[in-house]
Amino acid sequence: MRSAELQWKIEPWGKARGTKPVMTFRVPHSAFRILGALWRLNLAEELQYRANFAASVLGTLFWIGTALLTLALFFGHTTRLGGWDYWEVVVLLGVFNALTGVVEAVLRPGIGRLAAEVRSGSLDLVLAKPVDAQGFVSFRRLDIWRLADIPLGLGLAGYALARLGRVPSVAQLAAFALALVAAAVVVYTIWVVLMSLAFWFVSVENLSVLFDAVYEGARYPVSAYPTALRFVFVYLIPIAWTTTIPASALTGRLGPGIALAAAAVAALAFALARLVWRMALKRYTGASG
Amino acid sequence: MSRAARWVRRYGALIRNAWLVDLQYRASITLWLLWGVTEPAVALGIWWTIAGDGPVAGYARADFARYFFALMLVNQLTIAWDSWYLDSWIREGELNFRLARPLHPAHEAVAENIAYKARTAGMILVVWLLVALAWPAVRLPLQPGRWALTALAVLLAAAMRFFISFTTGLLAFWTTRATAIMDLHAGVSLFLSGRIAPLALLPPAVAGAAAWLWFPYMLAFPVEVLTGAAHGAALGHGFAGQVVWLGVWIAGYRLAWSRGIKRYGAVGG
Repeated sequence: MRSAELQWKIEPWGKARGTKPVMTFRVPHSAFRILGALWRLNLAEELQYRANFAASVLGTLFWIGTALLTLALFFGHTTRLGGWDYWEVVVLLGVFNALTGVVEAVLRPGIGRLAAEVRSGSLDLVLAKPVDAQGFVSFRRLDIWRLADIPLGLGLAGYALARLGRVPSVAQLAAFALALVAAAVVVYTIWVVLMSLAFWFVSVENLSVLFDAVYEGARYPVSAYPTALRFVFVYLIPIAWTTTIPASALTGRLGPGIALAAAAVAALAFALARLVWRMALKRYTGASG
Repeated sequence: MSRAARWVRRYGALIRNAWLVDLQYRASITLWLLWGVTEPAVALGIWWTIAGDGPVAGYARADFARYFFALMLVNQLTIAWDSWYLDSWIREGELNFRLARPLHPAHEAVAENIAYKARTAGMILVVWLLVALAWPAVRLPLQPGRWALTALAVLLAAAMRFFISFTTGLLAFWTTRATAIMDLHAGVSLFLSGRIAPLALLPPAVAGAAAWLWFPYMLAFPVEVLTGAAHGAALGHGFAGQVVWLGVWIAGYRLAWSRGIKRYGAVGG
């Protein structure tokens, strides 16, 4: 929340002006308070539409069903997919689904609306607020029913792990948790980078489809793709770090040390997201009257 | 002016209008196109890897490449977004001014489909030709007769998918979840219309059951006509299936339209 600090310090009406930066401790705190308030409102609003919860869970179960059938079809003609056996890929599918929950519950309803706001100029209203714009844009709204995808996905991964007959060690579980958080950060970065394109290509309102196109590749282990594509997925569009790595950490295909690499990638990704956001924001001139 | 000439003029105006609207949104349309080809591209990547150990049910690597390239093209030529349009027209009351026009709203939808498909399928065709220069696996033999048959099969499939989408969209007269039904349909068609794999790779019982439904005729059949996988008796069977199911869906559309429009209490201004 660095730019929030900055904004706070240069606020003409702030008491902090000219004083030592004691206030900087209060700003992140107030940011959490603001988010808390937004989410509470959000929750109250969504609770009016409880039927959507059933629809959302049914939709997710249907999606998991088609994904499992697709896998069954592949494995009807092969015994291993990129060196992974059936239940290992199902673990990955569970991770994919848990991350889909993060995307649908937080990112799409939040930063996914950015393109439309840049287009209409309503981003002005966000920028005028004395909070960190990136944080506000990213986490302002929760589509809470879709959060159910996270336990559903993790449940699927756990079931597949049981079918593999593997009991993960504490180190493996810790590595998985860390890799999963890192995966969420990488997914977040992909959203920020893609949605920031809106500042350059103002007329494109459906930029979020680009994410769906990219993320489609994360359904399967990267080793299942031809070599050239594998390189792209690990280094250029780093979707390998979203599903393949956490799943590998959980099944023990990769040692727990991989979590440190994942954390490093996530830190790098987060810095990149911040950088791209700032560059993008400099281009914003506003459109509303 | 004769009846036919009047219709040509009407459609000329509608298509020109739709083309100009699309021109304004060309960047967005390109992104939708990109999104549309990722699913077959990912499927091709997986089958390419699996077929590395040898042909799968008669499909070698190059066959998969040709199949999924043909699928990208045929899917773009036959895809219909109309249920999403109708859902919003009906719920938001945008159907009102369309009903006030002296032309059935379906004609506007057909013209939009033609303009959209001419633009996007043209883009796919250009990319395919460029890829084929470098990658022999995706080259098709020069067979004008087969391409003519493909054109016919694609036309029938596009008409069928249009009526499926339009009719399902009309369900918005009764329910707010018409597009969810379309998503369900898309999930089933993933397997039964050959989007994830050629039908020959499905379990025989499933493929046999699919042949009694409309799914193979809306996508897999025209794709196989183009790649040459369908020949002889399969051609006759496929075209017959297309005609029968097109008829069924047109009947369904007429029923849904006449019943639904009576129910419609206009919303909005």
